[in-house]
Parts: sequence; structure tokens; C-alpha cells
Amino acid sequence: MKRVPAFTITLMLAAAFAACGPKKPAPGGPAPTPFPTAGASSATTTPNPPPPPKQAPEPPMIVPPDPGITSGDPLTRAAIEDINKDSPLKPVFFAYDSDVLDDAARKTMAGNAEVMKKYGTWVITIEGHCDERGTAEYNLALGDRRAIAAKNYMVTLGIAADRLRTVSYGNEFPFDPSHEEAGWSQNRRAHFMLTSK
Amino acid sequence: MRRLVLAISTASVASTLLMAAPHAPEAVKSFPLQDPQKPPQTQGEIVLTANNPGSHPRVGMPDFAVVGNAAAAEAAKLLADVLWSDLEYEREFYMINRKSSAGIPSAATAKDLPFAQWTQIGADFVLMGSLKASGATLEVEIRLVGIRGDNPGREAFGQSYKGCTIENARYCAHSIADDMHKTLRDLDGVARTKIAFTSDREPARMTSRPVQDSGQSKEIYIMDYDGANVRPITRNKSLNIGPSWGPDGRTLAWASYTSQYPDIYLTSLDGRPVTRPAQGTESIHNQSPAISPDGTKIAFSSSRGGRAGYLDIWVVNRDGSNLRNLTVDWSDSSEGAPTWSPAGNQIAFTSDKPGSNQIYLMNADGTGRRRLTFEQQADRPAWSSKNFIAYTLRQPAGHDIAVLSLTESAPRILTNGSGSNRQPTVSANGRHVVFVTTRWGKEHLASIDIDGKPTSIKQLTTVGNNTYPNWSPSSGR
Repeated sequence: MKRVPAFTITLMLAAAFAACGPKKPAPGGPAPTPFPTAGASSATTTPNPPPPPKQAPEPPMIVPPDPGITSGDPLTRAAIEDINKDSPLKPVFFAYDSDVLDDAARKTMAGNAEVMKKYGTWVITIEGHCDERGTAEYNLALGDRRAIAAKNYMVTLGIAADRLRTVSYGNEFPFDPSHEEAGWSQNRRAHFMLTSK
Repeated sequence: MRRLVLAISTASVASTLLMAAPHAPEAVKSFPLQDPQKPPQTQGEIVLTANNPGSHPRVGMPDFAVVGNAAAAEAAKLLADVLWSDLEYEREFYMINRKSSAGIPSAATAKDLPFAQWTQIGADFVLMGSLKASGATLEVEIRLVGIRGDNPGREAFGQSYKGCTIENARYCAHSIADDMHKTLRDLDGVARTKIAFTSDREPARMTSRPVQDSGQSKEIYIMDYDGANVRPITRNKSLNIGPSWGPDGRTLAWASYTSQYPDIYLTSLDGRPVTRPAQGTESIHNQSPAISPDGTKIAFSSSRGGRAGYLDIWVVNRDGSNLRNLTVDWSDSSEGAPTWSPAGNQIAFTSDKPGSNQIYLMNADGTGRRRLTFEQQADRPAWSSKNFIAYTLRQPAGHDIAVLSLTESAPRILTNGSGSNRQPTVSANGRHVVFVTTRWGKEHLASIDIDGKPTSIKQLTTVGNNTYPNWSPSSGR
């Protein structure tokens, strides 16, 4: 069981007492019975919470982590390259010759936006990719439009524009090198790459 | 102007130059185009001048006579083979297959040639060569000897060449071919020109890109026009595309993603520092550079200004000054892939203004726009110095190379639909087009003659995927 520092218990007790609210005193009766709490020592028979115990009798205590950062999250420690190998940011896919976002793409980007909000310092590059049909030059422009379409949608979801870079790789880097639709559909994408944390 | 030094070792570029064309300036200086001791050119039955372009003499070529060691003999063999191929390439001389003439005995002098045997396999002329080694240098003598008529053995052309070495035997053969074409056919040969291109043949993993795709680096290379002597120009382990030669045959511009976004890089094979005249940033992307025919300006496509996701044609001086947008008023379409007219006063480019990519032209100041193509799709024009435009044509069957003469109305389709054929670049003499084709599997560079003759198609690359070819306008001397 996770070790709960003593003053946290004190806070819990204090909250418990506060949560009681103003109770009607028993007519002519004594102070209300102590609110039962887990881990409370039997010494708590007074309405006042016990003072926080001194640290001295305890073994040296590690300063507890800021609850805002979970120390168990590997993504805060991992290298950018490793994160990109199995990224929490997912790609979105496009129809042939199109930069229009469909429902699946918008849903995926809602998830990406959550990741971007959780890791508020992350800066990403949205890469636009195309399948091999069409000329290389045409695909560089189409990849641009796909990346920008994805960026604009992420901005509407509340992600600051300066955290979203875009670049087009046209058809230079197919994710699937096969020469038919199963492969091509994998290559028509906006790919989300972590650039800095 | 910002200066950026790419991860190119100046020394390694210089050393690759040395391997490609060692001592080239010295070879030119000591390479006499007119041998003061040359015997006078005699007239034969078949007149070898440009005044009679209909005649294409049939030329046989025996092995060269060699005075020298084994290395010299090897150089002589290579020189003869390369010279034969260079002459055959321009189709001014019909070169008789050397294997079919291999059995004909050699001769020490023109008068000793076995005329009957050469006549029998159809030769009008025999190209005799002799090579004499002294140390590392070679003295080469070429004689074009008439076979037919009442005076067989008379010399129609004779020339001595100095400045050849065992190491530069290829370049020597190219120089001889250019000299023969100029002297005998008044034709500017391209045997000493180079093709710059993009290739993934030595892939390195690009940093900060996913491993699960084929995200391997693509670098800029140059090679001889016939595919020999492939040499790397960039080594930055990034994506490097779209090289464009300057008129001096030594300046190269291209688009690189080495800064994590595409920008134009300008370098010289002389090893001068790399510059970035288009001044791209992580939000301003530049690509598709084209150096003007006088070398002073670079046209390119840019995301600078305009609407997000729409590209314009921009021009900048080579030193980074006078950056200007030529198509700012076409704000609902993307313009790209610029190419300069031979006089440098017009630019052809691609625009999707009509809803599909088509070729347009405009004056170099952006005025006077005119649509040139009305195809399903047309892209990536290359404006030949002989004033026609080659481009990538999209048809239902796929991509092919088409050629548009600015005086005729109908374009000609050069390739025949075998595989996908794109990204043409035209030789300086306007007689050949190098392009990307998938007809042999991967993306390879091929050469085809301007008349589209299928037997003229030659495969230039054999490894990797090779794209974005650009033909040097001169031989860089």
C-alpha cells in the first residue's frame, strides 16, 4: 500500500471534520462524537485534530512529488526518438487527391489534442504525405495542404498554433511501398511527429 | 544574407571532382583543337560537313594501337569503347557494332587497312586510333579514313590530342567526341556534360523521423551524361531533391530538408560555402529551384506570403537580394516548378488554377500569363535551350514525357506508356531527354532521343531509386 505521509492524514481528518458541517448539538449534550476515520489513532478523542507529528521520530522523509507530474509516466523521461517509435499521437488519413478531414480523422485528432494538452510543452511537426500517384511536385503541394488542414483543426481544438509545425514530404517517404490501394491508403496521411518536449 | 555550411566536407567534394575529371582545366589548355601539324583535311566521296546533314556515314572502329604497358592498354580499350558510344549517341555517324568487326585484322597505317573486309560489313569510313603512353600521360591520335571509291585510305579527318592520362581516359574520349562532332558536323556535343539527380542509393536514417516508414535519406548526386562516375554532392542524411545547374556547369541549387523544413541551398563544385538565398524558415518553405540562364537569379516555389497551403513563384537574386513574388495575384491556386526560357525573359511553370495542373508561361516579371497545355494534367516543365518545353503528361494510361514546341500547336508524346515516365530534362543541344521511368522496376533515369525513337532509350542508373534529373547546360570548363 502506498505510504501516506502523516500530515496528509491530518488534512484528511480536518477535511472529514469540515465535511461534517454544522451539526445541531445534542440537546444539552457534550461535544459530538469523533468522526470515524481510517488510520486515526485512538488518541483522537477531542474535536481538535491532533497537531501534525514532528518529522523527527519518522525516518527521513522524501519530499512528496508534485501531484501535477506523475513520476511514473515514461513519456516524460523518454527520448523524443523513442516516443516517435510508438507515439501517443496518431496519424490521420485522407482520400485520394484530397485534403479533407473526415469524421475518423477528426476523432483521431481529438485524441491527439488531449495528448498535447496533457504534455503542455510538446511541440510537434505535422507531416503531410501522399501516395505515389500524381507527380512529385504536385504531391509536395498536396502534402502541404494536408498538414495545414490537420494543423488548423488542432488549433480549433485549443492547441496553440506555435506548437504545431507543418512540413510536406510529398510522396518521398511512403509508409507502405506497395503499388496498390492497400499501400497507397497508408501513405495518404498527416503524420504527427514530436519535435521538442 | 545568412550563410550556412552544410555537412559537406569541402575537401571531399574537391576530391570527388578530382576523381570525376582530374586536371580538367589543364586538359583543356593542353588539349589543342587545332594540331599545327595536322595534315590538311581532304574531301572524300561523302562530305562530312553539316551542309549535308542527310548523310550519316557508316563508321567502323577497330581496336586502338597502343604503345605502353598493360595500364595503357586498358585505358586505350576504355577510351575506344567510350568514344564509340559517344559517337553513336548523337546518331550523326552510324557506328558499326565493334563485336561484328572484331575479326577484321588491324592495320598499322591507313593504307594497310583491309578495305575489302571493311567494305563488306558496310563501312564508309574507319576510325583509327593510336595511343602512346609516356609515364602517366597519353598521346592520342585519331584518323577518320575513307574506305570506298577510287582512293581508299585517304584521310578525311586527323587530329592529335594531348592532355589525356590513364586516369581521365573517359573524359578524354568525351572530349574527342565533342571535337569530332563540332569539327565534322558543326554539332555541339554533350559528351562532357553531367546529370544531377536525387537518389536513395546510400540511405541513412533521417533523425526525428519514424522508423516504420521508408524514411531513408535521399542525397544529391552527379554523374556523367552516360551514367558513369556517379559522385555524391550532399551527405547530410536528409531529404535533398530537385537539383538545378547554373550556366557555368559548376553551380548547383537544390531543396534540402536538412533544417527540418525545405529550403533552397546553393553551392558550387568549386567548394565555395553553401548559401540559402531564398531565406526559408520553419514556417516559410521553399523548393523547386531553377537558376536563370545567365546565372544571376533563382526562380522557385514558396509558401511565403499568400494563403496557407498555396504556393507562389518567387524570384531572388543569387546573393539573396530582391526577393519578389511573381504570382501573388493568383491567390486561389498553387504555382510551382518554374523553368526559364533560353533568353531568360520568360518563365514556364505549373498552376492548378483551372482545377488541374497545367503548364503556363509568363514574362520574367510575372506579367503576360498564357496557358500552354490543355491535357488531363501537365506538370514540371523543362524549357530547352532550343526553345521547346518538355513536361510530364498525365493520361488515363499513366504518366509520359511530352514535348511542346512553341511554334507548333500539338504536343508530341515521347515515351510510349511503358511504366511511369516523369520529370524530363533536356540536353543543351536539344537532341536528348533524360527522365525518370519505372519501366525496369524501381525509379531509374533513362535517356531518349528527341524524336522518341524507342531504340534510343538507354538506362543510365542501375541501383537505388533515382529522381529529379537535371542536365548541366555546359561541361563546366
